[in-house]
Amino acid sequence: MRTTRTIGRALLPIAVTAAILAILPSVWFGDSPYTTSLAVQALVFAAYGVGFNLIFGSTNQLFLCVGALAGVGGYGAVILIDETSLPMAAGVVVGTAGAALVGGLLSWIAVRRSLGIIFTGIVTLVFSLAFANLLLGQRELTGAETGLVVTAAADRLGDDDVGGYYLFAGLLVAFLIVFRALQLSHVGWAFRALRDDEVAAELAGVDVARYRIYAATIGSAMIGLTGALLAYSAGFISPATYSFDRVDVRVLVLVAFGGLGTLLGPVIGAGVFAILDEQLSTSLELREVLYGVFVIAIFLFFRHGVVSAVVSLYDRLSRRRQKPALQPSGD
Amino acid sequence: MKAVVLDGIVLGLAFGLLGVGMTLVYGLGGVLNLAYGQIVILGAIVVMVVMEDGVATFLAAVLGVLAAAGVAVLLDLTLMRPVYRQHGEERTLLGLLLTLGAAFVIGGLLTWRYPAGALYINVSGEPVSIIGVPMAVGSLWASVIALAVAAVLLLFFGLTTFGRGVRSIIQDETGARLVGINPAFVRTVIFALSGALAGIVAITQSMSGPLTVNAGFELTTFALIVTVVGGLGSVAGAFLAGVLLGVVNSLSAHYIGQYITTIILLGAAALTILIRPRGLLGR
Repeated sequence: MRTTRTIGRALLPIAVTAAILAILPSVWFGDSPYTTSLAVQALVFAAYGVGFNLIFGSTNQLFLCVGALAGVGGYGAVILIDETSLPMAAGVVVGTAGAALVGGLLSWIAVRRSLGIIFTGIVTLVFSLAFANLLLGQRELTGAETGLVVTAAADRLGDDDVGGYYLFAGLLVAFLIVFRALQLSHVGWAFRALRDDEVAAELAGVDVARYRIYAATIGSAMIGLTGALLAYSAGFISPATYSFDRVDVRVLVLVAFGGLGTLLGPVIGAGVFAILDEQLSTSLELREVLYGVFVIAIFLFFRHGVVSAVVSLYDRLSRRRQKPALQPSGD
Repeated sequence: MKAVVLDGIVLGLAFGLLGVGMTLVYGLGGVLNLAYGQIVILGAIVVMVVMEDGVATFLAAVLGVLAAAGVAVLLDLTLMRPVYRQHGEERTLLGLLLTLGAAFVIGGLLTWRYPAGALYINVSGEPVSIIGVPMAVGSLWASVIALAVAAVLLLFFGLTTFGRGVRSIIQDETGARLVGINPAFVRTVIFALSGALAGIVAITQSMSGPLTVNAGFELTTFALIVTVVGGLGSVAGAFLAGVLLGVVNSLSAHYIGQYITTIILLGAAALTILIRPRGLLGR
């Protein structure tokens, strides 16, 4: 009885998010392809963000290869279909599995060589850049800078179509459920232990290495799946679709903005930045400057995310209003 | 073959010069300055703008070096202060993220203001023959400057009291503080030095070809590779790694193909981290 109520409460934020996402098109932008494509982009980044959050926010592995993992999913799926004429679903499955494998492997290497946060960051960054070069080099397979037109792209799931919107909204909700389920299980307990203090977690019997690889594999699968579906809904991919400066920087900023390791952090971050992007339709360079300023401000002043800063401010204000007569000292 | 290796050495000296500014700052406090490439570009753009006003090349170059050093000091005095209050991995991570932000701010402002900005310093003269291989004067000058910088840095860190103080901080920050060395001051000086080196890189890079305004991240990447392979914090290591990678780069570009060379260089960095995380000459 008690557990069902706990689970209900744990799923409440996801249910609210799903409800908001479900009614958003009809109350706001259902008939504007431009706004729909912005919303789809926000959903895609929120989905990337959940995957990245699982890897970095939960187990402290700085994966600077979100774009590359999504690219493994996207290019893997599209190239497989082009070469073999298997159905689209097979491509998505293979692309996702490929990304999961690569992410798991990177994590396995990092864990085996006990690389710190920085070296994990450098190795994954190196992987990102090498992957980008590979895309440019394998011209016959990837079309290099010109990109690939996805001939098998699905009708009515385009990224400026409400169908595409619901596809990614469903994907995001599914990811959130997986994230919450992991948090509630023994895996989530291990994640918290190893994030707070790795040595203590190891001493308490948590197999740190195994849980890190779990997190990286699941998170990379999410990123790869998103990348593969994006390829089909957009109908066209190029190295820029999955490039480091377009994907990774943004994901890092929006997850940090929403709050590392929190359930809804990536969703809130993606939403805020989508609105910001729409408002700031100035030059690309100035937007880059603004992103830089955001990164600096977030990490200087809101280390635990802007959302948690607002929440704790609210807590402090409401606590002051209803001060109990007797309060234990300290705290 | 001889020409390819010689080309590689010239390229490698440029790599070494590029890496040494980053490796010094990392060695001194664990901050990987991801804005390094953008500081190089800033130096280049300053030189370009000043030269357009008709100032002599040498004077413009000096101004560019000073500007790059100035921006580096500014970074140290503002963004780096909260970073150095942290310790260990927290410090490195915060440093990484804040300098990434700074890279976007500097790079974005420069590309916004000078979208087609590029610096090319034309060094005229007939190609000089070295062991039977004709070499362009510009790249020879760049190599001579790189070698001179390497020599000066090695003498500075080996012989002067200040240089020894710097090395003592690299070895043990708390210990250095205990014997009366002020790490904050030394760090500011090293940041200035690193910025000046970035300015010199801007000059030498633009002697063999135009250095464009959007090359920042590429420069940072190569500096990072050199730093990792050479050993974090080692001046000699940076130049050794630079030359090694330069020769590998020319050989693979010549015998395999251009696009594969970047992958090989990146692979070298990854392999170094996995096999010998301290780098070639790191402690």
